[in-house]
Amino acid sequence: MNPLAGAVALNLAFGCSILSIIALIAYNRTSDFRLFLVGQRLGLAISFFVFISTFVLGHQLMISNFDIDYVARYTSFETPTVYKISALWAGQSGSLLFWLFILSIFNTITIIQNQSKHHNLMPWVIITLSTIQLFFLVLTNFITNPFEPTQADFEIVNGNGLNPLLQNITMAIHPPTLYLGYVGFSVPFAFAFAALVNKDIGALWIQSIRRWTLVAWLFLSVGIILGGWWAYQELGWGGYWAWDPVENASFMPWLTATAFLHSIIVQEKKDMLRVWNMVLIILTFSLCIFGTFLTRSGVMSSVHSFTESSLGPVFLSFVFIILVSSFGLMYSRIGVLRSPRRIESVSSRESGFLFNNLIFVVMCFAVFWGTLFPVITEAVNGNKISVGPPFFNQINIPIGLALLALTGIGPLLAWRGTSNKRLIQNFAFPTILGLLSSMFFIFLKMSVYVVISFSLCIFVVAAILSEFVKGAKVRKRKFNESLFKAIYKMIEKNRSRYGGYIVHLGIVLMFVGFTGHAFDKEKEFGIKVGDTKSVANYDFTLIKMYEEERPNHYAWITDIRVTDMFGNFVTQLRPEKRVYFHKNPDINKRQPHSELDIYSTLNKDIYSIFSSVSSDNLTAFVKIMVNPLVKWVWIGGYILAFGTVIALWPRKE
Amino acid sequence: MNSKIFSLIIGVLLVVVFWIGWVSTNPADKKAMAQFISVESLVNNNFSQRLKLGGIVKDGSILISETNQLECSFVLKEGDAELYVNYSKTRPDLFKDGAEVIVTGEYVDGMFYADELQTKCASRYEGDLRNEANYKLEELDT
Repeated sequence: MNPLAGAVALNLAFGCSILSIIALIAYNRTSDFRLFLVGQRLGLAISFFVFISTFVLGHQLMISNFDIDYVARYTSFETPTVYKISALWAGQSGSLLFWLFILSIFNTITIIQNQSKHHNLMPWVIITLSTIQLFFLVLTNFITNPFEPTQADFEIVNGNGLNPLLQNITMAIHPPTLYLGYVGFSVPFAFAFAALVNKDIGALWIQSIRRWTLVAWLFLSVGIILGGWWAYQELGWGGYWAWDPVENASFMPWLTATAFLHSIIVQEKKDMLRVWNMVLIILTFSLCIFGTFLTRSGVMSSVHSFTESSLGPVFLSFVFIILVSSFGLMYSRIGVLRSPRRIESVSSRESGFLFNNLIFVVMCFAVFWGTLFPVITEAVNGNKISVGPPFFNQINIPIGLALLALTGIGPLLAWRGTSNKRLIQNFAFPTILGLLSSMFFIFLKMSVYVVISFSLCIFVVAAILSEFVKGAKVRKRKFNESLFKAIYKMIEKNRSRYGGYIVHLGIVLMFVGFTGHAFDKEKEFGIKVGDTKSVANYDFTLIKMYEEERPNHYAWITDIRVTDMFGNFVTQLRPEKRVYFHKNPDINKRQPHSELDIYSTLNKDIYSIFSSVSSDNLTAFVKIMVNPLVKWVWIGGYILAFGTVIALWPRKE
Repeated sequence: MNSKIFSLIIGVLLVVVFWIGWVSTNPADKKAMAQFISVESLVNNNFSQRLKLGGIVKDGSILISETNQLECSFVLKEGDAELYVNYSKTRPDLFKDGAEVIVTGEYVDGMFYADELQTKCASRYEGDLRNEANYKLEELDT
């Protein structure tokens, strides 16, 4: 396949996007249905050409055509096939094309899915989606084209290859999963924008995007968790979240999207919070684009940032246009947007949702504040002050705990208002259990935050379980079913509600894992064969250290025996220090890599990193970390994904 | 909106704004904040607070202690300005000559004692293309 075909396809997609927008605007003025059909088909054509372009680049990566600069920079002959595919999103121009590719898939599904639905919304939905595509087509056609030919005054006999750190299956999956989340919010945003233009503000647009929002949210959540898991397994600093600007960039839209997912329930059920829902979806989509700006502009010192490029101002301008046009339009529609109904009582479920939303948005603001703190302080007093994890933790731990509390409180409240009698009935069991457990944790002399966090986890689990038991009991009585069948049927009949509760359960387990961080212990030391060192009541004995030459790297391997305080054998850890490209005569092209070894249990992880070896090859320098409860973060992640899939699962007709 | 709810919302917002303001001015951990500064202005001025600097590791400047491999020093270069940096923890894999790094720590008597050392992450793996002189196919087994 000729690479020129890819570049030409990108050009054609650019042309089609402009024509599609023009045709649909003309349809809105003339109501000539033929113009709508032209615009709609051109919308499909944009996606078709983007697909061709992406497949051409994928093919060039597979056949190692180093005449294309992108292929020469991110692959080599030795790059395994799976990583030649993942090289598609390893670099800047490729990842932008990949963004566009996913957006085109979503655009195609939206158009096909709604061919005979939402006739008044669809023209503006397609215009909005095509405009977003146009923005990325401008970037990939004119600013950073992935089909740029290689410019070197020598023959490229082999490419650079993909960084060994990225040659990890999680790292191959993490970026596309995040992209699916980021890009997925384009569709709900497009429907919101179309609803605003058409003054069709009721529950219709909400119903049409609920599933899309949930899908995007699932991908964003899984993408964030996978990123943390990869960092924990590969990067060797023993943590999974560093409050890095780029991590924050994915967390901020997740917070507003989670708020949105909750508040659309109120609009669906009670036709309230219309303005608020508009604000949330506009913010979510803008934050997705803003996140891409943070990653690419180099404005923040992040470990993730791509090379500084001219893309920053372009992205920022796009965010500005989205915010001004959306909020401007919203302001002009404020009369029709205002809901005629009001929240009646503080102890109502609507009010619970509202406060949960408030906390999500406040947390998003806190993360935004910390992320942009260097820019803010520089503007105020000329000193650029950056903030680190202790700052984010100090601000966000109390906010997060308030959110955790609301996760338990919300489902126990009734719509419109909860009587005092029902308040006591619903809250008694979880509250008593939470208080009893807090006394137990205080007795164990745990710190204040740990006591609050663990007690709230127990309170929320008790609240969720009591909801399940209550529902199952009613079914059991009514249909004379076994408890198991009653629970199954209850979930099947009300998937979004009970799927949501399962997601909450996942979140609680993740909080258990986060709280375990308070007990982390670590030590770095040099150790000779036969020596023993102690960390957190475990003894680490270096049994042997040896070297091995393997097909694509050279490795020093340590064999560390771990025993507990009573001398019982716990595990054998074998962290490695590897050097990839070890035969490369240019020492700077050799790539050292620490291959960790982690002994993971439900209770704690023992995490070992082989830092370096002394020049006489006798002393190994290792870092040992004992991280309690980390596994619950990943288990919580699985449960979160499982609950979301249940909520998404289509009903039997 | 119910006035009770409205007052509660305002109350929550005020508490949070106060809380963010408080932590921004009085962080509990001294490692919570660091001032970004260029190598040049650090060399020419005295700073006692926690600092953050970015730059390139000068070629051939990395010295690793024979007795404790965790201890290393190197020269951080930003433009023409240079600074001696000491770091005694596990070094990131991408740390090497010419690597772009960010260090955080304190400046004492001409030496910067870093307790954090970050190298740019894998997504910045964008080096120069290889020519035949520095890369030969037969030298790399697959």
